[in-house]
Amino acid sequence: MVERRKTYIPEIGRTVIRADAEAKAAGVEKYAADYYGEGLLWAGVRRSGIPHGRIILIDKSEAENIPGVKAVLTGADVPGANRQGIVHKDQPVLCDTKVRYCGDAVALVIAESREILKQAIAAVRVDIDPLPGVFDTDEALRPGAPLVHEEHKTGNILLQAEIRRGDAAGAFAGCDAVIEESFEVPFVAHAFLETENGIAWQEPDGKITLVVSTQAPFRDKWEISGALGIRMDLLRVIGPYLGGAFGGKDGATVQCLLALAAQHAGGRKVKMLWDREENFIAGYKRHAVKMEYRAGAMRDGTLQALHCRLYYNSGAYAHLGGEVMALGMEHAGGPYRIPHALIEGWCVYTNNPVAGAMRGFGVAQVSFAFERIMDLLAAKLDMNPLALRRKNALRRGDSNSSGVTLTGSTGIASCIDAVERHPMWRSRSAWKAEAGAFKKRGVGVAAVFNAMGYGRGLPDSAIAKVELTPAGKIRVYCGVSDMGQGNATAYFQIAGQILCQENSSIELVQPDTERTMPSGSASASRTTYTYGNALIRACEELRKRIIGRTALVLLADTVERMELLPGKVRHLGTGREVPLSGIAAMMSEQDRTCIQQFIMPVAGDSLDTGKAFFIGFPHLLFSYAVHLARIEIDELTGRIEVKDYLAATDAGRVMNPQAYEQQVQGAVAQGIGYALHEEVLMMEGRVLNPGFAAYLIPGAPDVPEIVSLAVETYEESGPYGMKGVGEVGINGPLPSIANAAADAGGLHITRAPLTAERILEALAQAGKKNGGKRK
Amino acid sequence: MKIDFLLNGKKIELDAAPDRRAVDLLREDLGWTGTKEGCGSGECGACTILVDGESRLSCLMLAAQLSGKKVVTIEGAAGDPEIRPIQESFVELGAVQCGFCSPGMILSASALLKSRQYPSREEIKEGLCGNLCRCTGYHKIVDAVGEAARRLKDGE
Amino acid sequence: MRKVFFPRTLDELWPLLESEPGAAIFSGGTDLFVKMRAGSADPGVLIGLERIGELRGIRREGDGVRIGACTSLKSVLEDPLVRSGLKVLETALKALGSPQIRNMGTIGGNVCTASPAGDTLPPLYVLRAEVEIRSAGSTRRAPIGEFITGPGKTLLGRGEIIAGIRVPAPQGLNLHHFEKVGQRKALAIAVASLAALMRISPEGVIEEARLAWGSVAPTVAVSVGAEEFLKGKALTRPVLEEAARIAEASFFPIDDIRATAGYRKAVAGNLLLRLCK
Repeated sequence: MVERRKTYIPEIGRTVIRADAEAKAAGVEKYAADYYGEGLLWAGVRRSGIPHGRIILIDKSEAENIPGVKAVLTGADVPGANRQGIVHKDQPVLCDTKVRYCGDAVALVIAESREILKQAIAAVRVDIDPLPGVFDTDEALRPGAPLVHEEHKTGNILLQAEIRRGDAAGAFAGCDAVIEESFEVPFVAHAFLETENGIAWQEPDGKITLVVSTQAPFRDKWEISGALGIRMDLLRVIGPYLGGAFGGKDGATVQCLLALAAQHAGGRKVKMLWDREENFIAGYKRHAVKMEYRAGAMRDGTLQALHCRLYYNSGAYAHLGGEVMALGMEHAGGPYRIPHALIEGWCVYTNNPVAGAMRGFGVAQVSFAFERIMDLLAAKLDMNPLALRRKNALRRGDSNSSGVTLTGSTGIASCIDAVERHPMWRSRSAWKAEAGAFKKRGVGVAAVFNAMGYGRGLPDSAIAKVELTPAGKIRVYCGVSDMGQGNATAYFQIAGQILCQENSSIELVQPDTERTMPSGSASASRTTYTYGNALIRACEELRKRIIGRTALVLLADTVERMELLPGKVRHLGTGREVPLSGIAAMMSEQDRTCIQQFIMPVAGDSLDTGKAFFIGFPHLLFSYAVHLARIEIDELTGRIEVKDYLAATDAGRVMNPQAYEQQVQGAVAQGIGYALHEEVLMMEGRVLNPGFAAYLIPGAPDVPEIVSLAVETYEESGPYGMKGVGEVGINGPLPSIANAAADAGGLHITRAPLTAERILEALAQAGKKNGGKRK
Repeated sequence: MKIDFLLNGKKIELDAAPDRRAVDLLREDLGWTGTKEGCGSGECGACTILVDGESRLSCLMLAAQLSGKKVVTIEGAAGDPEIRPIQESFVELGAVQCGFCSPGMILSASALLKSRQYPSREEIKEGLCGNLCRCTGYHKIVDAVGEAARRLKDGE
Repeated sequence: MRKVFFPRTLDELWPLLESEPGAAIFSGGTDLFVKMRAGSADPGVLIGLERIGELRGIRREGDGVRIGACTSLKSVLEDPLVRSGLKVLETALKALGSPQIRNMGTIGGNVCTASPAGDTLPPLYVLRAEVEIRSAGSTRRAPIGEFITGPGKTLLGRGEIIAGIRVPAPQGLNLHHFEKVGQRKALAIAVASLAALMRISPEGVIEEARLAWGSVAPTVAVSVGAEEFLKGKALTRPVLEEAARIAEASFFPIDDIRATAGYRKAVAGNLLLRLCK
């Protein structure tokens, strides 16, 4: 329970109420969606509605003639490169020659009201000559398959790569037990509640300001600049708190379209707000992946060899497809020592919605496969599933399956111990025996991990800025967006801890390319780690300065015995005090502001593999977790109910127990949706369930009590020993629930989600098998 | 069409198209942006408001339906002794993350606690089943509603 | 801009129905406004019934209960007459939508929408409910099974509305059961549902059985064969399995994004087994 004191010093290691909670709960925090304005114009997109085709004609005349329509723009009106994309610039802002998925933007309409906008979008005549499409990775890889990007030199293969260690092919021969299985996971949606949106306007001097729901305001600026040919200094992006994102607002959504609209809005504010359907049709998705696994172990359970082939479905554009696959491949062997591994990956263009970043970036997918394989191996070797995992668990100093030496904290074994000691595990037999009529109970575990940071090939950097304001308060200029994960509060705590100031004296400025410093995206479990490390340096510097300047005010001959206290500095020897406002008054603005950069360390090993990865391989630091799910299957309907859930997580030291639990519980709930029913259903690239009536995310009654155990290690490179905790939790539910289903009724499910229908079918299959045996 | 109603205790009188959605009237015309919109089709509950004390979805209501009603949005919660403790427990117990569901969630919780003084965890979950949250996993939301029920009972 | 009317009495309503023949009539709006947003309905005129007091309220009538058409689902759910005597309806209402939907939606609306997945429909079928149809000059009644003529189709003619639902007391029917299968626990459209109402003797013999399934046919599915078969038997697994087998002939489910026809069929039958004693 939190102390209900109104005034406190937000310190490290204790539950500190979120700095943003009060305003959000009062409804006064302004998200991007809450910005309107006098004389507001509305912008919207005409989408192709066709998965693949050549644009013959876009006739905008009818739409332009509707009273209240300000402009109708097409690819020909885009002034710059008309290409966007984080790594590969392959996505047009407005399509010029071709459309590659149903959500592709073909025209941008600006109108006086939402009603007129809707009417005008419908009135744009779009003539597209349909081309045969490819939707599945097998199809797309077939020789002679239609090409999504004709100019791409490797055809539909966006990236092909391998990670090789030892001699996997040879090592299988010596294995006592080999498991071979294929798995499949679908496209899923982030389903954040605040859909993609923003507002923009252009000043008479040409400068365009955007307020956008974004995870990467600085990158947005570069993106817009390149795509539209606008000088960087003429762009400003402001990124307020987000109403959720989970990776789905990492990359261009409304940004370039809005900037373009602002150029045609005559100085008026123009707003774009995707509705929920548009979010499903045009927004990013988690990659669908097909996974072929073969793993071998010795009789005592020691893993020897792994060979897997992974096919990531990137959809129509690259976005971060190659990097998502790279991370998936890096995690494909699980948090285990595997001396011989061959991991092959293909990231493939198709005419589906664009897949991109999502919490558990490529890793949530492979976790299903490697953790099902571990249970299948355990069954084959007749071993306890936790014992098998412990036997192979990575330890500090080991090399992982990519060959990276783990020099940082590695707590997977401690997580296994924590689960093994827990009553939920110990009492499993008794608990299962208590299943009621038509119910089958099962208990499953999964050991997972998730890398932190961008990996090699680009600096994972943050630049912290902290100011002593003229009023004597501390102002932290957050360079990394807070999409709800709570990193802003971590910064609040760091400032409170180092500068010994009370909550009411610490202000947070959310990302704004003119006020805060470029600090990378809110992604990769890096927001607290990287920016936090930079902020520690900046706060320490500011502290030194405040004390040093106080010496001047007090005419002290040394800074010894000078202490920074809430609102003031005291000379302990004499008891003399100076308020911070007094000290600030004698400092110049430059002197009151400290800026410090931090770059995350990278793996030092010279690896002779993973050469195809442009960026984002390998990683050095990982968070770990072991999850346990207790489920009940209804034999009449096939429905799975998750009854209890335990997550033991090693994310280094805990800076804020409440915030830590929030991340674990939230990730688990999202993971339960991934496990049980979430799937973006598609027919030839068309989304069949674009909305919350048919794409169901878990509601309150669907989520069990989630027990979170913090298995604390100390990560020496992390701020106060911490590691990122935002993503690792989503990797556990699908495999632990699938393993529980196997435990409950011998149901071997290889395709997610584990819908009631699939389970009922599997129950019938298992029934036939058992019936056969009995006879 | 002239529409008049009581919004968070204040008399509102304005001209609006009768078929304008209530959520647009509140957010755009009146500038009360605490009420959020997440889906527009009654599935997420972010737009929940209280109309004559009952929770309703402002995305599925016409402006004209507000006429003559007593409407409470999240902005009116601070001044309402029955909602304020819920807001506080949401803040203190960590039930707010991205916060986009929080206004609707808090108002639904208040409607629940009006009809049920001592709800069990299961009853709380059922009472909030019309409000989706993608961040919290609901755990701390249920904690917060339980705690608010206790505080309301104890008159804290 | 659409014209919107909120008549305050039935007397105000009738001339409106006359003068605005193309108007869409709504009560809670939870269905119509979703359709309008999706573009599948685009009426120029809307008539809301929410301010007509005569259409609301629940009262005892004869040996049964009369529910005004515009009574909110929440009011029905919380009504003492419903809770004490119409358990099967109460259970279904608890599974319908969310608190907000139940505050807004009405029982008349759920009936008029006539969705194969309408949650109140299977209970109203087994309760042998009657729909009271009013127009300017007349009142007529129809059993719910006749009132609903197809998915989204009812007997309602021009100038007519539902004024109420009359539910005879299910005397002696001592087993009330409702179960809905959705893709999640709450706020989900039924993939299949079953309402059962039975009279069971003290010895455990089924003296009367009424069964109705949702979401497995264009309208609510009933199986006289299964009901007849159950008579005189006990609620054992083999008996229920046989009843389910017989009932299958009444299921004509479709494949959609929520489930395949095969799944709906299998589950609809399986739901009977839940009654196993």
